[in-house]
Amino acid sequence: MFEVAIVLITAVVVLLVAYLTAISSRDLIRLLISLEMMFGAVFLALIPVFSIPEMTNTAFGVLVITIFTSSSELLVLIASIVLLNRMTRDVSTDVVSSGGDQL
Amino acid sequence: MDTVSLILLALGSVTVLSSLGVLLSRDNFYSALYMALTMIFIATTFAVFNIQSAFILISFIFIGAVGIVTVALAAVFRYVPKSIPIDRLWIIPTILTIAVLAYTLYKYATFNLSQASVDISAFQSQYALAVVFLVCLMVLLMISIVKIVRREELCLK
Repeated sequence: MFEVAIVLITAVVVLLVAYLTAISSRDLIRLLISLEMMFGAVFLALIPVFSIPEMTNTAFGVLVITIFTSSSELLVLIASIVLLNRMTRDVSTDVVSSGGDQL
Repeated sequence: MDTVSLILLALGSVTVLSSLGVLLSRDNFYSALYMALTMIFIATTFAVFNIQSAFILISFIFIGAVGIVTVALAAVFRYVPKSIPIDRLWIIPTILTIAVLAYTLYKYATFNLSQASVDISAFQSQYALAVVFLVCLMVLLMISIVKIVRREELCLK
């Protein structure tokens, strides 16, 4: 009876654990892991949309867009990890003292 | 409770436990492995509702490519801190938010989920343009990142 509640509560818990991991992360790898967990929570939240017959294709479209977005996020974070490692020989975010471009 | 609800409850429990493994594990490599496990359980939840196309996309692309690259990165840049880096002050508001949202969802989200199947041919005709734009966006992003990395390489030299 409470199938949708079980799925959505799991999505909420995974999302908030991912937020907690992101807040507590001290390096870029852990940040990447937490971002992927957030995308996992988005996938779980899409399951109820799939069960509405008129919205099935829309839900699949959102799923495809989410997978593209997660791949882009992976690409950007890999570049960040490689660049930070070349500059500081470390992937810890503690070594980043300031953000943004220099004008 | 029927069989599907019991399976969902068991899957939800192991998904939450493996996501807690990501948070509590000290080693990034094990965190990445727990993350891959969480993703597999999420994909299995799709399989329970017979959404095979989504299950294949998540298991082959999201876990098979993105997840494994993350595990490989975590293995290459292995970092084990002396203590578990959890900001304890954030645990209390997180648990409170989970409790409020879980109660609200348990109280109001009571409709049953039905088994659904995606009409791939209809999807292709409806979303072909969107997929083409997404592929173009990915190519542009790749070119931009290659340019940024090359520029930084020149700056470091």
